[in-house]
Amino acid sequence: MTVPRTGEVAVRLDEVSKAFDDVVALDDVSLELEAGTMLALLGPSGCGKTTVLRLVSGFEQPDAGNVEVSGRWVASATSMVPPERRRVGLVFQDLALFPHLSVRDNVAYGIRRDRDHAGRTDELLELVGLAGDGPRMPHQLSGGMQQRVALARALAPRPDVLLLDEPFSSLDQAMRTQLRVEVRQILREARQSAIFVTHDQGEALTMADKVAVMKRGRVLQVAPPEVIYAEPATPYVATFVGVANLVPAEVSDGVADTPFGRVPLIGGEGRPDDGHALCLLRPEHFTILEAPDGPASSGGWDVIDRRFSGSEILLELRASDGQRLWVEAGSRVRHLGLGDRVGVSLRDIETVAFGRRGSTDAVSLSAPASGPEGATAQTGTPR
Amino acid sequence: MTILATTQRAIPRVSSRPTRPPIPLLLLAGLVALLALVPLVYLFVRAIDGGLDAFAPLLRPRTLELIVSTVTLGLAVIIGAVGVGVPLAWLGVRTDLPARRVWSILAIAPLAVPSYLLAFAFVGAFAPRGWMTTLLESLGAAMVPSVYGFGGTVLVLSLATIPYVVISTRAALMRLDPATEEAARSLGRGPWAAARTAVVPVIVPAVGAGALLACLYAISDFGAVSILRYDTLATAIYSQYRFSFDRSGAAALALLLLSFALLLVWAEGRVRRRAALATPHGRKRVPEPVKLGHWRWPAIAFSAVIATLSLGIPVVTIALWLGDGLMRGVELEVGLEALRDSLVLAGSAALLAVVLAVPLAHLVVHFPGRWSTLTERLLYAVYAIPGISLALAVVFFTLGAVPALYQTLFALILAITLRYLVQSVGALRGPMLQVSPRTVEAARSLGEGPVGVLRSVTLPLLRPGLVAGATLVLLSGLKELPLTLLLAPPGTSTLATELWDAAREAFYAQAAIPAALLLGISFISVGLLVRRGEVEI
Repeated sequence: MTVPRTGEVAVRLDEVSKAFDDVVALDDVSLELEAGTMLALLGPSGCGKTTVLRLVSGFEQPDAGNVEVSGRWVASATSMVPPERRRVGLVFQDLALFPHLSVRDNVAYGIRRDRDHAGRTDELLELVGLAGDGPRMPHQLSGGMQQRVALARALAPRPDVLLLDEPFSSLDQAMRTQLRVEVRQILREARQSAIFVTHDQGEALTMADKVAVMKRGRVLQVAPPEVIYAEPATPYVATFVGVANLVPAEVSDGVADTPFGRVPLIGGEGRPDDGHALCLLRPEHFTILEAPDGPASSGGWDVIDRRFSGSEILLELRASDGQRLWVEAGSRVRHLGLGDRVGVSLRDIETVAFGRRGSTDAVSLSAPASGPEGATAQTGTPR
Repeated sequence: MTILATTQRAIPRVSSRPTRPPIPLLLLAGLVALLALVPLVYLFVRAIDGGLDAFAPLLRPRTLELIVSTVTLGLAVIIGAVGVGVPLAWLGVRTDLPARRVWSILAIAPLAVPSYLLAFAFVGAFAPRGWMTTLLESLGAAMVPSVYGFGGTVLVLSLATIPYVVISTRAALMRLDPATEEAARSLGRGPWAAARTAVVPVIVPAVGAGALLACLYAISDFGAVSILRYDTLATAIYSQYRFSFDRSGAAALALLLLSFALLLVWAEGRVRRRAALATPHGRKRVPEPVKLGHWRWPAIAFSAVIATLSLGIPVVTIALWLGDGLMRGVELEVGLEALRDSLVLAGSAALLAVVLAVPLAHLVVHFPGRWSTLTERLLYAVYAIPGISLALAVVFFTLGAVPALYQTLFALILAITLRYLVQSVGALRGPMLQVSPRTVEAARSLGEGPVGVLRSVTLPLLRPGLVAGATLVLLSGLKELPLTLLLAPPGTSTLATELWDAAREAFYAQAAIPAALLLGISFISVGLLVRRGEVEI
């Protein structure tokens, strides 16, 4: 692998579709991975993210469209390059280590023809911190160690692209967090182009340079994590990543008129036309006022739920008309809890709104605040 | 003999801290061990009875010939069983072969057909003027090769042992994670290289374990080799015992065969543990079946030929005998009498086995540790000992130590019980796992006394295991040949011995009814195994 120049494309999917029997797994998906960067495919199970990996690695063939790896065509509906000739490395969800081979032989499996395969194997074992474990068998290793072997094995032939399929899903929480950091560091240092699949938004946001949010075989948005969070393209993305309040608003002239006041909208092509819209307000967009009826307050709210996640506290509020709202409690109001009555006011922010157009997956207006599924507090906001 | 405890041993035990088993349980396990081991010790005692001279027969050229013929048979059967069994397993698991399930059941069905029955049916079909011979000759075959001797024996025993290889290989193929093969592909190997380096090595231990079972079966076999007139250690032991004055010679040969068998059991255990390690994770995803395309016709033909040989031939042959016998007015009573005696014998053994199995399964499941492992190994070893060796051991033991038991029904029932005890313990394992001490404590805390707990919790939970355990031993006992042949009281005839006598005199019509009953019993056994999920289809 030559160190990729910025701007080169490591993987390109061009209007790719794939169905299994009658189930559409990918529907006209176009996607690019910039060389030397990491892309996360994020979405619920069954959204087609694993299918993308299997198309790139060559274990499935597209029904339509083209797949390219490092600028070379590898697959279309009529023919394809077999997996072994694609220079695409894979870390499988269940690892799939060769149970009959030692750690060393597993890592060396893909590079036996290289002249310096022994040296390269040592180097990789060193890299993943398993220098002394070469002679051991996979079943003698812990889950985290097996994970490292799988990574070293995939990296050994210096693949143009590395694909990771939910690579940490079988590990416990502590090990997962640790390995995430390690793997990211290893891939960064090698400037390794990589795509990984996850349904864990925290994993996607912390590890990737760009995140592609998928739903039902379509890519809803591809963008850097901060953009995904701050400027989601659809209400679905807004609620899937982080905690979102979607409140009804009237848009005119780039400003949304919400029940909490007027909010300027971020410019760009995603900005809705004038008229009815749903405005995204994140919990940290609000300030909590202990005096519910103060001059800046938007009505009185009851605290009905409280979620503590170490670094922050989220409060779920309910207005007298039944409307609900997730709001972040700042350091001054950490003592607030169930039964307290508070006011809220909007900070000085810019946000996005979703108009009628393109809102096929809009959250209905009668339930403006996203439910708990979008509000999983432990991964609610990027850390 | 049948060996089918292979999948039962794969059930993981409940992990719990090691507890000392209660003394009564240990005493019972010790008693069972004593009953099983003492006759074997007696075999040794009897062999060295006449001083070291007794081992002189082992040094005769004739003995060397027998060893060679036995080992040759074992190796040839391995080749036959693996050569057919592995492709059958692969077709059944990994391809889109039409009616895969049916072919898979047909491939393992011969498991429960006793070898002597298969051998006798082959004699009936392929002997001069047998129906297959006539058929082949009418089709223009110049000369049908003799069914007797090495070739016929290898054929029949391979057919009988294919299921062991199929079951073992199937299990490994089914557990194999398709991602392993894909990992090899993504690391630069083509389809064939990926199969060779990532799939074959994982399957080999499982195939090896099946092959060793096939070999064990072949060298231990007594019925088929006798009927097909191929001399092995097993036949020599019998003729030494029956027709020679020197019975210690028979004991020495029986010991020799026993050591071969134990060596194979030990090797099989080792290989199987490796096979288990080789597939540590369960399968996460069902692989896409290999599309056979036009190859499906040869694949169907191959499966059909094997099923015809191992099942079609016995069924047709026995049906023809039955028709012939009915026309000639063969006495039905003989067969029914034999059935009655067989049922009494095997039924008693089944009951006794279940009574012993409950405490033993309790020991094995709830007190994992040195003692329970030892008990399990011993039960399996007794099961795997060649029937003819075990039979001879019991003969010498009763003659020498307790003459009052010599050739009594009680000794025979006890021998059958001990031999097949592992089956009923295995059947009780799963249910016993559910009767945890916690379950019992829960019932006690809800106001049931010890007897009430037994009635309302323990027995209902164990019932399926009790029924299955008894049935397995019953079916095995009905088919048992060498033990019955050597230990049955004079005048007692069972289905197996009836068939044996008929086979000796090539009196086919007389064999019809016992043969038909035995075949029916065999198929019930297969159905039971498949239904209980001991064979994964």
